[in-house]
Amino acid sequence: MRLTILLILLALVPVWICACTKPNSKPQLTLALVEGVEGEAFKQAARDYEAQTGVHINFAQFPYQSLFEKELIDLNAQSGAYDLIMLDDPWFPRFAGNQFLTDLTPLLQKRGQTGPDADFVEASLNVCRHPYQTGALYALPYVGNSQLFFYRKDLFAKHGLKEPSTWNEVLAAAKTIQEKEQGANGGKMYGYVMRAAQGNASVADFMPIFWAFGAEMFDANRKPAVNSPEGIAALEFMLELGKVSPPGYASFNADEVSAHLLQDTAAMSINWPAWISAFSDPARSKVIGKIEFATLPGARKPGQAEIGNWLIAIPRYSANAEAAMDFLLWATTAEQMKRSALRGNPPTRKSLFQDAELVAKFPAYPAQFRSLSTSRPRPRTPQWNEIENAFGIFLSKANSGELSPSEAMNQANAEIEKILQRAQ
Amino acid sequence: MVLLALSIYPLLYSITVSLQQETASGIAWSLTHFKRLATDNFFRTAMVHTFVYAIAALTCEFVLGLALALLSNQQIRGRGVFRASLLVPMMLPTVVVGVVWRLLLNPNFGAINGTLKQLGINTESLTWTASPRLAFLAVIAVDVWQWTPFVFLVLLAGLQAIPQEPYEAALIDGSSRWQTFRHVTLPLLKPAILIVLLLRTMDLLRVFDQIFILTEGGPGFATEMISLYIYRTAFRFFDFGYAAAMSFVLLALTNIVSVVYIRFLQTKEE
Repeated sequence: MRLTILLILLALVPVWICACTKPNSKPQLTLALVEGVEGEAFKQAARDYEAQTGVHINFAQFPYQSLFEKELIDLNAQSGAYDLIMLDDPWFPRFAGNQFLTDLTPLLQKRGQTGPDADFVEASLNVCRHPYQTGALYALPYVGNSQLFFYRKDLFAKHGLKEPSTWNEVLAAAKTIQEKEQGANGGKMYGYVMRAAQGNASVADFMPIFWAFGAEMFDANRKPAVNSPEGIAALEFMLELGKVSPPGYASFNADEVSAHLLQDTAAMSINWPAWISAFSDPARSKVIGKIEFATLPGARKPGQAEIGNWLIAIPRYSANAEAAMDFLLWATTAEQMKRSALRGNPPTRKSLFQDAELVAKFPAYPAQFRSLSTSRPRPRTPQWNEIENAFGIFLSKANSGELSPSEAMNQANAEIEKILQRAQ
Repeated sequence: MVLLALSIYPLLYSITVSLQQETASGIAWSLTHFKRLATDNFFRTAMVHTFVYAIAALTCEFVLGLALALLSNQQIRGRGVFRASLLVPMMLPTVVVGVVWRLLLNPNFGAINGTLKQLGINTESLTWTASPRLAFLAVIAVDVWQWTPFVFLVLLAGLQAIPQEPYEAALIDGSSRWQTFRHVTLPLLKPAILIVLLLRTMDLLRVFDQIFILTEGGPGFATEMISLYIYRTAFRFFDFGYAAAMSFVLLALTNIVSVVYIRFLQTKEE
């Protein structure tokens, strides 16, 4: 296993060369970053740090999907190529569970701190611990994303509707709007729009409904339980929402959902904070000032958003853990995180969600803070990628009409059980 | 030495990986991965999809390509332009083709439904990549669109390499056009047909990029091909052993198909 991975790593040689040249008196750090706004902000922080301290910092930046591969290959091979890695929180159980990351608490204690700063949002710190919430700290949260509920406040006001607090209200409002409204260019206005493409998309848009209906992916004995009556009811409800969604939503991803909202052809959706700025961009948006951002609706249980934080961790085989920790603490101070927030990344510190300058620039912060504070992670298991893939396939099959909700959930449950058995 | 390192070593290593199983006490030799193939519904469905897809696309491409080659082999006006314009799709990278068709097929904003709507056709139910049957037809159509020109080109080259004498002989013997085609053109075209079928079959069985872009195997599992499933297993789930095992099954099946082609087309020649 190790040898194959080494072979694959040969392909990465160019990335390391910069990391291995001329030893300096100052330590050097190599960061693995994601492309896009989250990675750019961290990169910028690293450049500032380099200018201030003289610590030389190298970057290896990858698109979202390949970042996971590159990091896992490095961690598996124990090559120590990276001193700091950015990771999406669903990857964390796999990385931490395999003992691939450095426990940060001893490093904090060396610096006179007993634990992470109390200013961090608890929900964000919880996903940095293994086991969840209670275990050792293996990362610090850097970008505080969590899902939000987007809706058209102008249309809600026009039809005398109030902000939906339950999924049934969402469905009723969607029906009203679809019946009485016309979309852009005389086209159809859809009440709701969601992502139901197999994989990450359908699962992410379904989990808040699933949880609100009182369903859980695993029961108390860690057995899969997606085919519980609550789970099936949640999927049936998703299909009801599908009837007020644009045709073809069973293959939609984030781009299509946002396009419908931006183009004034749909009235509500679950979406991520990264899209907020697009709605005030005249080049892209036909609905400037008409979208309101809220927390997720509930049903039998209060609504809960899925958390999607970017974390930063130190690989266990990094040779520069001390220098990496110094930089990590510096980059996650309130002052530095504010710079990242101004570049468009939601923070993970409570104080910043109340920062006057930031709130003036990002009016959705209060809703984002409520959503993040009450958010919950995707089911925490090292097999999440495989489970999400299988679950997403059956959700998509139900939404495209290939399977009934109960058939889809039964088959999904059997498939998840197989995945768990194999892992044992 | 370089060849050994670059091709033989990885091949041998992937065989070992497919036969090993990581357990709590270390790595053990086992047939677990191959046993799992027998019970994996996703694997079976993806295999069936791949073969149905390959057979359907190959049939369309071959019939269309042959018809176009025969047509273009005649002295007709403007055949230069005709030939050149046919080759355009083949020159595009498959990723580009995937993106272009994804946009064209978008049910709400795409050009195809837009055109149909202009013609007064109700497009409500034409959701293309979101409905299992239409998505499967769509991925076949895209491959036919892109690769028929290749079939055409090879067959045309084959046609033009056929000397005039057999045709003259057939004419003298008074054979009909169909008889000439059946007994003169087809046998002499056999080498070209063999090449084109072999290359296309291999390509179709390992199809990846355009489907990955167009549907990512969806909706649900409707257009999942074996290569996509292998990719996911290796790089999303990090199960290299199982991915290697699946790759060997695909390799074996591709080899069998190739051998069948070669046997079939060669014995007929005698």
